Amino acid sequence: MRLKTDLTRAGALLAAAVLAGLAFNAVSPAGIPPFGQWDTDQGVVNAGGQAGVVDVGREIRTVSQARALFDAGAAVFVDARPEDAYAEGHIPGAVSLPVNDFDEKIPTFWERYPLEGEIVTYCSGRTCEDGHRLARLLEEVGYERVRVFIDGYPGWAEAGHPTPTAGKTDAEAAVR
Amino acid sequence: MKRILCHPLMELAFRWLLGLTFVYSSLHKIADPAQFAKIVFGYALFPPAAINLIAITVPFVELTAGAALLLGIWPRPAALIVEALLLLFVAILSINLIRGVEFDCGCFAFGGAGHISAIPQFLARDLLYFLAGLQVLLFSGRRRWCLTPLKGRNLSAAEAG
Repeated sequence: MRLKTDLTRAGALLAAAVLAGLAFNAVSPAGIPPFGQWDTDQGVVNAGGQAGVVDVGREIRTVSQARALFDAGAAVFVDARPEDAYAEGHIPGAVSLPVNDFDEKIPTFWERYPLEGEIVTYCSGRTCEDGHRLARLLEEVGYERVRVFIDGYPGWAEAGHPTPTAGKTDAEAAVR
Repeated sequence: MKRILCHPLMELAFRWLLGLTFVYSSLHKIADPAQFAKIVFGYALFPPAAINLIAITVPFVELTAGAALLLGIWPRPAALIVEALLLLFVAILSINLIRGVEFDCGCFAFGGAGHISAIPQFLARDLLYFLAGLQVLLFSGRRRWCLTPLKGRNLSAAEAG
């Protein structure tokens, strides 16, 4: 009997909590839609919502497209991952600009690369949003042509394209 | 030992510990549901259609149950919810430990806790919380500092306090 009462009350608490969560989410600026995009075949996984950074419009969605841009040589590839990940391997010639150290590193980057130049950001593939976060931050400081290569470093490496490590070929390109 | 464990102050200490822990751990998830959804995705256990809904509601279940324990509102039902959540967390951690999936538990803060080596510690911690919750759940004496009457129907909040 006591257990039955307890379970009923636990159910009432649960219902109240779920309703409060849904109501709060509906009015919160950080709120997310009831369903997100969680299929890596479809693109970068994310919860969606106003506060989200994923902008499909600026995505480079295949490795071959990224390779074509790389071969054309006009775009600067920018690595959004932490420095140690960059050191373990990156797209040749890519500049390291970890999104978490953006404020500290952007002045040097800003001096070196013109605002009207073409930029391609990337991170660790479709389960990370850092390429998009970096693209947004770069746009905020004035860069006009920023795109995101969504398959990132893993996609590039799996396709068998060259992957230098820091200290060997292009460490000097990293923003210090 | 039994006298200490069954002491009303022990019940109060465990209840407040669990209450504070659950309220505290819910807040960063409520502030950033998109980030928490990403962590739920990282557990690799839930269907895509459930991920956002879990991220929206589960932190509020933690908050509600934690606040109820702190304030002494329906402490036993609240303890039931907390115990169920802890069992769920233990199950999630164990499955991913066995599978070797690396993930961020997102328990108290986002980021940094994604190392598989930390999982046994999280498991041990959750089991300790679970034992504290059992004490709160099974305690049969008169509870201190409770807003709802507990033993006997006529015990008012003032008397219980």
